[in-house]
Amino acid sequence: MSEQMKCKKEKHLKKDDMLNLKDNINRFDDLKFNRRAFLKTAVGASVALGLSTLPFSVKAFLGDFEDDRELVEIVKLEDLPKGSSVTFNYPSEKDPALLIHTKAGELKAYNSACTHLMCPVFYEEESEVLLCPCHQGFFDLNNGHPIAGPPQRELPLIELEVQNGVVYAAGRKIRHG
Amino acid sequence: MAKKICWVIIFITLALNVVMLQWTIEAYLGLEFDLVFRYTVIALVSSAIALITLFKWKQVEYQKEESAN
Repeated sequence: MSEQMKCKKEKHLKKDDMLNLKDNINRFDDLKFNRRAFLKTAVGASVALGLSTLPFSVKAFLGDFEDDRELVEIVKLEDLPKGSSVTFNYPSEKDPALLIHTKAGELKAYNSACTHLMCPVFYEEESEVLLCPCHQGFFDLNNGHPIAGPPQRELPLIELEVQNGVVYAAGRKIRHG
Repeated sequence: MAKKICWVIIFITLALNVVMLQWTIEAYLGLEFDLVFRYTVIALVSSAIALITLFKWKQVEYQKEESAN
């Protein structure tokens, strides 16, 4: 449409006539500007994602780090027969944990809050697995990794030491094996 | 051609930053702080590359437009 024709057509309209919105629509411009806007949005998203990693680093830098080598007494070994478990808190009172003496005679300890929605995890003696009853999540007793159900991450592993018949918690690994 | 390369670079940085954010969160939850710092540095460098590429793309895009007018 030529400029002259366009002016003739718009002669009867007032300057502030809001009904004249159809002239804003130009298919070619629309596509062109959308392409530009899309690229700019992609860059904005990329920068936003990049910057959103920064608070984690700042918090990690400022946060207090765990003292991994502090020994905390859990239980006397004689009080924990094979095929049984005991609960304790490690590394702080807010972190529930589970020490298991397996039927094979091994000692295993994990934080017992399910990595799905933090329900307590229990030791199931018959099948020798760790069970979260809330949503039927199962963890491998040998390494704490999820084997069935909704949990995706492993249970934090608590390192153990046995001294003079007493079991101590000696550290924690949140990601392991 | 230069514009296409800019598009490719920007989308690579976008994909990289999505992965870096996920890895950073996982490393943070796993208390692997050295990894958190590493991923943050990569993400920030990638963001800077995206911005520089955008400026380069703008230069080419609007230069073409102006010369056409």
